[in-house]
Amino acid sequence: MSFFLRRTLGAGRNLGRAVLNNNQYSGLQRVATKTDQATPQAETRPTVAKFDPLQKSQLVDFGKYVAECLPKYVQKVQITAGNELEVLIPPEGVIPVLQFLKDHHSAQFASLVDIGGMDVPSRQYRFEIIYNLLSLRYNARIRVKTYTDELTPIDSACEIFKAANWYEREIWDMFGVFFANHPDLRRILTDYGFEGHPFRKDFPLSGYVELRYDDEQKRVVVEPLELAQEFRRFELSAPWEQFPNFRANPAAEEVVNKSEDQPKKE
Amino acid sequence: MLRQPLSRALALSPSKVAPLAARKFADQVQAQPDKVEVFINDKPVYVPPGTTVLQAAAQVGVEIPRFCYHERLAVAGNCRMCLVEVEKSPKPVAACAMPVMKGMRVKTDSDLTKKAREGVMEFLLVNHPLDCPICDQGGECDLQDQSMAFGSDKSRFTDIHFSGKRAVEDKDVGPLIKTIMTRCIHCTRCIRFASEVAGIDDFGTTGRGTDMQVGTYVEKMFLSELSGNIIDLCPVGALTSKPYSFAARPWETRRIDSVDVLDPLGSNIVVTTRTNEVLRILPRTNEEINEEWLSDKSRFACDGLKRQRLVTPMLADSRGNLTPVEWEDAVVAAARALRDCPPGKLLAVAGDFADAESLVALKDLFNHLGSENVCTEQYFPLEGSGTDLRSSYLLNTKIANVEDADFVLLIGTNVRFEAPLLNARIRKAFVQKETDVALVGPKVDLTYDYTHVGDSASIVKDLATGTSSHEVMKRLENAKRPVVILGADQLKTPEGAALLAYTQELSLRLQDKLVDKEWKVLNVLQRTASQAAALDAGYRPGLGAQLQAGPKVVYLLGADSGLVTRDALPKDCVVIYQGHHGDAGAAIADIVLPGAAYTEKRATYVNAEGRAQQTLPAVTPPGKAREDWKIIRALSEVVGVRLPYDSLDELRERLAAVSPTLVAYGDVQDNNYFAQARALAQSLQKPVSGKLDVQLKQLEDYFMTDSISRASPTMAKCVQAVLKQKQSPY
Amino acid sequence: MAAKQALRVGTKTVRPVLSLNQAEARSRVLNLYKAWYRQIPYIVKDFDIPKSEEQCRAKLKEIFLKNKDVTDIRVIDLLVIKGQMELKETVNTWKQKGHVMTFFKPTEEPKPKDFLSKFFSGLD
Repeated sequence: MSFFLRRTLGAGRNLGRAVLNNNQYSGLQRVATKTDQATPQAETRPTVAKFDPLQKSQLVDFGKYVAECLPKYVQKVQITAGNELEVLIPPEGVIPVLQFLKDHHSAQFASLVDIGGMDVPSRQYRFEIIYNLLSLRYNARIRVKTYTDELTPIDSACEIFKAANWYEREIWDMFGVFFANHPDLRRILTDYGFEGHPFRKDFPLSGYVELRYDDEQKRVVVEPLELAQEFRRFELSAPWEQFPNFRANPAAEEVVNKSEDQPKKE
Repeated sequence: MLRQPLSRALALSPSKVAPLAARKFADQVQAQPDKVEVFINDKPVYVPPGTTVLQAAAQVGVEIPRFCYHERLAVAGNCRMCLVEVEKSPKPVAACAMPVMKGMRVKTDSDLTKKAREGVMEFLLVNHPLDCPICDQGGECDLQDQSMAFGSDKSRFTDIHFSGKRAVEDKDVGPLIKTIMTRCIHCTRCIRFASEVAGIDDFGTTGRGTDMQVGTYVEKMFLSELSGNIIDLCPVGALTSKPYSFAARPWETRRIDSVDVLDPLGSNIVVTTRTNEVLRILPRTNEEINEEWLSDKSRFACDGLKRQRLVTPMLADSRGNLTPVEWEDAVVAAARALRDCPPGKLLAVAGDFADAESLVALKDLFNHLGSENVCTEQYFPLEGSGTDLRSSYLLNTKIANVEDADFVLLIGTNVRFEAPLLNARIRKAFVQKETDVALVGPKVDLTYDYTHVGDSASIVKDLATGTSSHEVMKRLENAKRPVVILGADQLKTPEGAALLAYTQELSLRLQDKLVDKEWKVLNVLQRTASQAAALDAGYRPGLGAQLQAGPKVVYLLGADSGLVTRDALPKDCVVIYQGHHGDAGAAIADIVLPGAAYTEKRATYVNAEGRAQQTLPAVTPPGKAREDWKIIRALSEVVGVRLPYDSLDELRERLAAVSPTLVAYGDVQDNNYFAQARALAQSLQKPVSGKLDVQLKQLEDYFMTDSISRASPTMAKCVQAVLKQKQSPY
Repeated sequence: MAAKQALRVGTKTVRPVLSLNQAEARSRVLNLYKAWYRQIPYIVKDFDIPKSEEQCRAKLKEIFLKNKDVTDIRVIDLLVIKGQMELKETVNTWKQKGHVMTFFKPTEEPKPKDFLSKFFSGLD
């Protein structure tokens, strides 16, 4: 790993810095030529968020750079919602990619803002684990996504980020994803003795049990929940299209490293 | 398609019948000309000529906003909301009224269209009050929705002192419809509905420009059995439901699809509930039955479901007073009565609202006990083929097909109040397809013109034998798609069997001559929602003979029409009443078993066409009331003849075994065996001399006919209002 | 292609949770069982639950035997991890008396099974 980083460091220093630090002259120039080629569709509507094409092109370049540096682990780099950079990696790549993003001199994503989970039961790997990183040095954010299922453990990021400790406990508690080498993996939100993982999509909204104070037993007792489900129908949509202005909006994501979908040979 | 001119609906004096040769029948459709190509937002679509731009756009999934246009009403074109840009047209055009032309290029999303919409919306809102927070239409308001979707995002309205905003006095149109006329945007849907569908020409506009008002000219109640539909039609909150006013918002309610049982048609409904309480009932579109209308009794009698309910089992104590008891006691008492009674002295009577499940379960229970005495309250002649052939007791033409008829003969029925939506269909045929109607029976107001043949039963005989000299005879024989509808009420008279035989004879004679062999002529219009299922299940119609026999135990399954009285029963007879309302049946009962009303259970009902449909539970039965079939099932176990079904699915399997039609939901089977029924009825064609009479003659008779509507305060108010309107000089 | 796919699925190599083979998983289960077993006297005493040690051991056995048909090593491992977690919560008295008593479900009333008692109780 260290070898890999060292090898790419030389090439990466200038490029990475130019990409992320827009105070630098060379970066500005690079970007200016880029934006000229892109469609100069400036947003004028006052209520619509404006995207900074400069910032976006920097993110695109940095995404490409990450993909070049870690060809073994980066499966896809994409931009979502206009200006959010995402790196998609396999579960084996969690440690090296996070280490790279934290320690690389021109990345310095030293702050782990959050780890999120997502459950899509129809997928082969139903869980998505999402790391949100922040680089204070370059005022940039990046999102790293990986995947797993109920039984495959993921390496704990606690060694790299101390902040990961509680976030991973939360994911373990809510989704039941096991983090290998976690120093203290136990429940964090649910009650002692709670069964199941509430954020899984197959966990019912009402839960399985209800708690009440029992006057005879002089303590809280747990009993299976009984709710009668009704036949119901919601009519939430009017027959008219509610937001025709957003009909033609483009898809939320665009792939940055199209040609690099396949890992390159050295 | 553009509507045909509604000359008949709008004619004030009865138009003379046109000569037959000049008439156009539904089946003489001209050859379809080729379809024309139009472009909606550059998307090509092929539609028949005469289609409007709005309909063509709907075909490619582009919904053009509209207020005045409605699929089932004539085109008015006065709201201007549907303005769209058409290429090479100097002005935007109203899509609802503009027929397509070849190669037309419509832009529903262009800047001109958007600007036109915003302009129309701005004008509408200038004179529309900003009282959405206290408006009952809020949340289901077309004006709200469309101003969100198509209106401008800023206001130019500066009259903050409300000095020039329009205000209109509210009208009083009866106890069902609340009017806040300031909210009216003059779409005239209510006026068009009243004159086209309901056949009441009381609504109209006065004044013009900013002084335009929708109203009844003079203060007058909206005397129609379909009045509630204008609440649904109104795109804003000008016409709202009076009983439902300030009750709930649409997003906090739950909506459950169900089926109406207050008339024999089985209209499809949506039951709106909140916190286990039925708030209102709305129609659900079903083209085969109710289109998108609903009769007032079905719509507004739902407050009767909360009053006069039986909520706990009861037993008569030593002094004859009913006292609340537990289920165990009541079931054991009922079981003992049933067990100790000799089978020949048992009698079960099914009432108006009995569902197919409980009917079958009760019949099974009685058969296990060795009794065949299971009856319905409504009589049907058992001579001839009796109830063996379904064709003898159903609406064979089917409700939707009545529209295509070219001659309708009504015998001894006031369709308008016995089945309001069937009457609406006949009126639709009358108005749009120039169908003629004739009536044998008392002269009543059917909301359209008809030939009154007389009210004597012998007329039917003359028509059947072909000896009548009345002009109707000739027209019937020349008709290509005749329909004969016999009211089931006529069959309970001693001459009922002969009347049915003659009607069958007449219908079959007409049917044999038809070119269209699929067309069915004979219809019998039942009066209650339970009768068709009961006859399918093998119940014996009528209970005269069984009452004569002096039963020892009478089991009333919601039988509330007052046919079973204490005087008619032996002194020591035990009356068990199972049902949901404390009405005539519960009043004479010794044991009361509280059941569920139609909004509280999943149950099967067969409508007058023979179409099985199911209700779904919208709320839970009140108090200790239980689903009806479960009561019978529990009772059977205590009696000692356990019925072999523990769940609704198992019971439905039993239903399918009894008659597959009972579980063929939504389907209606074609009936045949008319000829056999006719042959068996030949011997019954005896001379008849009586006069035909109907129960429901006036609007005030219509509102309270069964245990639910008798318990409904809204229905009582309606009767009062109609009687008061009768006093008025207008 | 399909055969290749099937082969890949059939012989899918997965990342182990803790144990590499059945024997290892088995020893983990037994260790957990023993750990619980040894803690039972202290649990009874610390939480002052109205159960005897014999009853607790029977319950422990019952809970373990509920999963006796699990064969997947990774599932066994996750169950062991969760059991370990519960044990820790119990031994450190993070749990309260009510939590421990939840294992015994004393207040749950058995639901009526036959039609008639369901009908009379109003449950179905």
